[in-house]
Formats: sequence, structure tokens, C-alpha cells
Amino acid sequence: MKVESRVILGAFIFLTCLCGVYWGAVAVHGHASERSGIAMLVFSFSAYFLLGSYLLLQWKRRHGVPRPEDRFDATQDDGAGVIDYFPSASIWPAGLGLGAIFFGMALVWGLWYAYIGGVLAIGSIIGWVTESDYTMDVLPGIDPDEVELGHDVASGATRPHYHTDVDHSLSEEVVHPHHH
Amino acid sequence: MHQLTRLPATDFGSPHGVTKQAQWARLLWHISYYFAVPIGLLVIGLIVWALVRYRERPGKERTPAQFQYHIPIEAAYTIIPLVVVAIIFGFMFNAENKQGAVSPTPAVKITVDGFQWGWRFVYPNGHVQVGTGNYNNINDNNGLPVLVMPANETVQLHVVSLDVVHTFYVPAFLYNRDLIPGVDNTFDVNVLKPGLYPGQCNNICGQYHAYMRFLVDVMPPAQYKAWYASQPSCSVTTAGVQGTQPGRCTNETPGLSHT
Amino acid sequence: MDVVPGPRPRGLVKYITSTDHKQIGLNYIVTALIAFVVAGAMAEVMRTQLIVPDNHFVTPNVYNQMFTMHGTIMLFVFVGPLGFAGFGNYLVPLMIGAPDMAFPRFNNLSYWLYLGGFSLLVLSFATNNGAAEFGWFGYAPLTEAIRSPGPGADMWLVGVGLTGFSGIFSAVNIITTIFTLRAPGMVMFRMPIYVWNVLVTMFLVLLAFPVLTSAFALLWIDRHLGGQFFDVTHGGQPILWQNMFWFFGHPEVYIIALPFFGVVTEVIATMSKKPVFGYKGMIGATLSIGALSMGVWAHHMYTTGAVLLPFFAAMSLLIAVPTGIKFFNWIGTMWRGTLVLNTAMLFSIGFLLQFLFGGITGVILAQPVLDFQLHNTYFVVAHFHYVIMGLVMGAFSGLYYWYPKMTGRKMNETLGMISFALMLIGFNLTFFPQHTLGLRGMPRRIEVYNAGMGWNFLNLLSSVGAYVTGIGVVVTVVNMWRSLRRGEIAGDNPWDGQTLEWACSSPPPDHNFEALPPIRSERPVWDANHPDLLTKVGH
Repeated sequence: MKVESRVILGAFIFLTCLCGVYWGAVAVHGHASERSGIAMLVFSFSAYFLLGSYLLLQWKRRHGVPRPEDRFDATQDDGAGVIDYFPSASIWPAGLGLGAIFFGMALVWGLWYAYIGGVLAIGSIIGWVTESDYTMDVLPGIDPDEVELGHDVASGATRPHYHTDVDHSLSEEVVHPHHH
Repeated sequence: MHQLTRLPATDFGSPHGVTKQAQWARLLWHISYYFAVPIGLLVIGLIVWALVRYRERPGKERTPAQFQYHIPIEAAYTIIPLVVVAIIFGFMFNAENKQGAVSPTPAVKITVDGFQWGWRFVYPNGHVQVGTGNYNNINDNNGLPVLVMPANETVQLHVVSLDVVHTFYVPAFLYNRDLIPGVDNTFDVNVLKPGLYPGQCNNICGQYHAYMRFLVDVMPPAQYKAWYASQPSCSVTTAGVQGTQPGRCTNETPGLSHT
Repeated sequence: MDVVPGPRPRGLVKYITSTDHKQIGLNYIVTALIAFVVAGAMAEVMRTQLIVPDNHFVTPNVYNQMFTMHGTIMLFVFVGPLGFAGFGNYLVPLMIGAPDMAFPRFNNLSYWLYLGGFSLLVLSFATNNGAAEFGWFGYAPLTEAIRSPGPGADMWLVGVGLTGFSGIFSAVNIITTIFTLRAPGMVMFRMPIYVWNVLVTMFLVLLAFPVLTSAFALLWIDRHLGGQFFDVTHGGQPILWQNMFWFFGHPEVYIIALPFFGVVTEVIATMSKKPVFGYKGMIGATLSIGALSMGVWAHHMYTTGAVLLPFFAAMSLLIAVPTGIKFFNWIGTMWRGTLVLNTAMLFSIGFLLQFLFGGITGVILAQPVLDFQLHNTYFVVAHFHYVIMGLVMGAFSGLYYWYPKMTGRKMNETLGMISFALMLIGFNLTFFPQHTLGLRGMPRRIEVYNAGMGWNFLNLLSSVGAYVTGIGVVVTVVNMWRSLRRGEIAGDNPWDGQTLEWACSSPPPDHNFEALPPIRSERPVWDANHPDLLTKVGH
């Protein structure tokens, strides 16, 4: 989280400076229409600030304890357990996508398409959301035998382990001393 | 026409412009080439060398080197390009200021109006040269509107769009300028060489964009003066029609435009 | 491995409902390649029209539709989505050791919006006034309802808009995946360069596409609700469109380029049997390009006379520096390696050569004084086709490189080399003469030209080159089809690959990994397979 937030906040600082320089230069020599560029740059660095500060907040909340994926010396065991829930096949995204396309067609040919799109989209969102609720109920400590087939069954993936004869005890010091 | 319009292809491929302002483009071509050619050759050379020298050859097993960083070299190919672009920018900044200078006292001021799909050139006394291309024959140059201007004098062109975005482009001037509704554009040209130069709209402006051509007739100053004196105030010369027709001073779109 | 498998449907239902990032990635790749063929056919129509000066092969309107939709489909449906959504979906989770994307269903939705956008763009040819015909950057006020009537322009707006939303959704998904689903030990500075490049690309998408969508919304309001945003007679400003479009449009150039920079980085490293030279410098260059690309949009607008020339010239020249760094890093990666010159590697070399030339002409065009001469001429067409054809070379390199991972079989090398040779010759024959055409004053987007301008022979050459290129592309398409059944069985790691995607089977199973090697550098698979050839420390 630390690296992530720094990358985004770095971009935020750069764009803020860029916007400042551009604003100043436009004020001296620019064309009136260039105010649009200033406005767009303001929105851009604001967006980076939003994301970067959120990530920084997440990092602060961890009180300096890095996640396994942020540690140079982490092994697969450090990330053991269920990673996340990964829903399997679902028809609702296609339904919602079709609804959105109909909304788009309404912009070309008129409002009637939006009614069809609305029905499709709302129906699909309901299907999608209830499907999510169902999986959330099932997943923690899931026993696959108890899950009825025919429903959408979510799957949780756990960290895989690597079995090999090769000695992988490559120490951090040997491989990348410039990492800290 | 063929010999007239064929631009001399020298100077590393870029033609020489016929205007005073074009010297700045020429200077920048030179600067760019002095840097681009050696750098390009160096990079291609290194790639070719690597391909030949380090390719996998059966029977000659080599262990690939496993180095990853070389700070001095990396710093060099970061700093040297920075210096190069800084130098290019320096020349460019100077050239752009000189080229873009607009004289407060030009010898001639002409308004260039672009419309779908033709041109109207309005002179200070209200004389108008106007016309569109022949939409049936791209090789017909007789019907083209003609922009008449003197050589060796500062001509100030004020370019205005009457409808959509067009671009005033005369290849021999090495110069483009957009005609955008709502944007005021003025620039100077000093043509050094009298002659007949083709020009063309250079921004997609609809169905007959390709036919939106014109000619620039650059005359020696005395000849221009005589031509200008012979154009009655507020008269209109429609391209393709010989002689001067009676006209009126107008700012309206020349009836050939909108559908 | 403790995965609870859901019911995985088969057949058509699988393609429609799959939430597997690999299936969705393949859907993207196949759709993008179809778009490449469709838009490539339009290019052949254009080159056929221009083969002689006063040709009447197609009407002016059809020609205008061709170049508009060629540009639109190539950029919005082919090259961009292929890089960040096609390869991106397939490879990002594999390369960081994740079981899937963070939002699998959302991912599926992205694909449908993308496919819907593509379909609307193609179907717009069937409307009564035909497709949009104002160029892919659609400068107002030509796009206003009175000058471009009919549903074609609206379908262009909606079609591109849908692909834009699809891009934004992909961006959210991929950024979240990279930030939250990396395997233990896969710290940010061990991710493959491809993943870094896609990450930066996705941030550019997040900033750029909303601006484009806003501009489209304004134009739609102008066209349908009597708005006057771009109508100067009612106080609107056509130049606003140009600012908004290029504020999207220049990051877009890097949105399409960065993923393929990543692809060739992976291919060159693997085929040289070496680590990426200057790994951190490479990431720094990518980040610099991402940052600088937000400040160069108006270099497309030098000739408008309404932009601050020195500012944009400085930024545009500056962005050449990180691109140059990448070049030297690629060469450094090959240096003292063992170069396997197979088809994938040759396409990457082709990328280097094409892109180098496009980059040099880019530095020329970045200078306003020279741009005043070259703006909108065929020199510009040649410049950006050298860049984009370089990216196409990169894309083909990626196809030959990862095809074994995706299908379990290798593509035919002989056909691949023939395809490479035809494409390299064809590209250069098509686009090299266009530099001279531009210097001789030929404007782009004209369907007829005066026979006395000295443009005839070069146009003929260029058209012949376009046909050669077309044949070269067809050879690879045939090769892909043929190798599905007849290709040599690849195995898990046919190229001695270095990054995590080569640690799972070909094609990878549901949720990807049976087991993960320890991640102790940016090439864990290489470290596991060559414990005696670890990255040397020091300089």
C-alpha cells in the first residue's frame, strides 16, 4: 500500500505543479479558450489526490504492518487462507451490458429503446445483486458438498504452494541487496 | 503546372520555402537532422550489433550474462537526451518567436475566408476574389480562386472561417494555419520569389474537402500595384470567369456555401 | 489446492457468461483481431482509391466514412483494448500470481460494452446516410446536426462512448487487481514491466476517457437538445471540442502504446535469456511518460493559433526522453544475452525499428515551426503509422509469444517468419513514401489529387505496400487458426519464460495456479529453473 499510494500521490504532485505552471503561463500569454485545459488539469490532479490519499489512509491504518504482497521476504505460507470470493459464470453482466447498449441506442433513435434497456438493466442488477448476497452467505467456511448445483456457486481460491526439488532459499541479501 | 508546382526536394528531403518566414523551418530541419541522424544510426547500429553478435548459434553455447543495472550508462542516456531536447527547444523557441512575429505596419492586408468548399480573398478596397474548385474534375485548375499578393513585401493574412474548421495551407510557404469559428488568426508572409503556388484546405471539412483548392499568384511589387489599381472597389472576381464583374461590399457568405 | 469449483458452462453459454479472466481476455483478443481485419480492409479501400490521381473507385462520402471508421475502430476497438484489455485481462492476474481479476462479473460487463460499441460502429454503415464522415477526431462544428445529419454520427458517439465506459471499467478492475491480489512476495517492484505499463495505462484511461465522454455528451446535447456548446453563432466555442478531445487524445496515444512497450520488454528479456536491463529505470520511464502525457495534448493544435506554443513544445520534446531511455534499456537487455531469433523476437525487433523511426519524426513534429509546415500532411500520417504499426508489430510479437500459453500449442514458425517479412516490407513500402508525400504538400483525407503535384508514383508505391501488408496479416491469421489444431504441443514453459504466467499449465486451469514458486525477484520462474543464473548484483 505504501508504494501504491506514493506512486499516485507523486502523480498528483506532478500534475498539480504542471497545472500551476500552465495556469501561470496562460494568464500571461495564453488564449482565452485555454481555460478549458486548466479546468481539466484541476479535475485530473483532484482525481489522483482522491485515490492517492485513500491508499495512504489504508496504509496508515495498517500501522506499518505490510501485507504479504508488500513484503520482500514473504512466502506463500504467509498468504495462506482464502484470498477472495470469485463468482463463477453469471448471465447478469451480459444482461446489464445489453441494457446499457439499448440505453445507448436510445440516444440515437429515441426513448423507446431506453424502456427496453431500463427493463433489462434493472432486472439484471437485481439478479446480480441477489446472486452476490447468496454467495456471501455461502462462502466463509464453505463446504462444497452442501452447495446446491444449478445455482451460481462462488469459489474461493486459496494460496497455492510450490513443490519442487530445487532449493529456493534465495536470500534477499544475495539477490537484491539494493532492496531494503 | 507540373514544373511550377513540383517543389525542389533537397535539404534532407524537405523543400525550401519561398517565404522569409520559412528560413526558420529550414534552420530547425538542420538542427533536427544533426541530432536525429547520428542518434538514429547509433540505435540501429546497436540493435544490429546485438542481433549479429549475441544471436543463439547452435554448437556455440554461451552463458547469457545476467547483469541488470549499470548506473553510469543509465544516467548517461537519461542526461544526454535531456540536453539534446533542451538545445532543440532553445533553437525552436527563438525560431518560433521570429516566425510568429506580426508586423504592426504590413504593406498589404488581405482577409482570407474559407467556406465549404472554396475561398474568398477580400482586399482593403473591398475587392473580392472568390471561387470553388470544379467538383467534377480535380485536374481543372482554371476555376480555382486566386490569392494575388506582392513579392518582397509584408503581407498580412487574416484567416476566417465562415462555417466549419478549415486550414489555410500553401506547401511552398511551409505553413499551415487553421480557420476556426471563434478564433482570430493573423499571420505575416514575405514571399521572396514571384510565382504561382498551389494551396489547399488541409482540414477535413466535409464532402468536397479534396476540391477546396486555390492558387497564390505572387507578383513583383510593381505588377501587383498595377493589378490592384485596376480592381474597382467592391468588385468581385469569380474564379473561372475572366474579367471583373460588378459587385458590392459584403460580409455575407458567398451564396456558394451552405446547403 | 483448495478451490471450490463453480459450474463452468460449455459452448456458447461459456463465452457469454464466463467470469474467468482468461476467457474474457480471449474474447477481447479475438474481437480486437476481427476489428483489425475490418478496419484494415477499410485501409485497403482507401489505398485503392488513391492508387491513381483522379480515381473514382469510391465516392467522396464513402472515402470519408472509410478514414473516419478506420481510425475510430483501429484506435478504440483494436489496438487500445487489445493491449490493456485483451492481453491485460489474460496476463495481469497470471503475472502477479492472482487467481482471477478483482471483479470478475464487472469484467464480463466491460467486454459486453466493448462488443456493443464495436457493433454499433460497424452497423452505422447500414444507416441511410452511412457512417460518420468527419474524421476520427470529429472537429466541431462539422459534427453539428445540420452538417452531419443522420444516425451515423450518433452511432459513432454512442459506439465510441460504450468502448470508453468499457475501458473505464477495465481500468477500475485491473488497478484493483494489481493493488490487492498480488501473491505474497510479489511487491510492486517485482512486478513484470508489462504489469507496470498496464497499471500506468489504466490510470491514463481513468483520466482521459471521462473527458472524452463529457465532450461526447456536450456534442450530443448540441445535436439533439439544441445546445450551443460548439456553435459559435450562439456563443459556443468549437475550439473547446479540440481541447477536450485532445486532452483525451494524447494520453490515448500512450494508452495504446504502453501495454505494447510492456509486451516487447517481456519478449526481449525472455528471448535474450536475461533480466530486463535497468528494470527500475524502465518503471521510472513508464511513470514519466504517464505523467508527461497529461500535459502535451495541444501539440495536436499548434496551427489553431489558440494554444501556448512553448509550453506544449517543451512538454512534447521532454516526453521523448523517457521513450529514449526505454530504447536503450531494450538494447541493454539484449546485450551479451543469448538471442533466440524466433518469430516473437523478430516482431519485437520489428517494433524497435518501426517505433524508432516514428519517434524521431515525432521529435520533428513536436516543434511548432516544423509542425506548421507538416500539420495534417501525409508526413503526419506516416509518422503516426510508423508508431502504431510498431505497436502492431508488438501486438503480433505478443500473440506469437503467448499463443502457447493460451492454447497449449505453438504457432507455426515458418508461416510466422513469412508473415513478419511481408509485414515489415509492406509497412515500410506503404508508409516510407508518405513522408515524402507530406513534404511535397499532400494533405491527408483527400480522396482525389491533382495529377501535376508530383504525388502519383509515391501513392502507387504506398498502395502496393498496403496490399503486401494485408497479405502478411492474413498469413498470421491463417497461422493462428491452423495452429489451434495442428500446432506443436507447447508444454507449460516453451520459451524458458521468466515471469509467473509460465509457472502454470498451458492453458492455465480455473483460478490459474496449482502452485507458485517463491517470488524473490521480478522473474521467479527463471530463478526456480536456473538457480545458477540468478541476476548479478552490482553495476
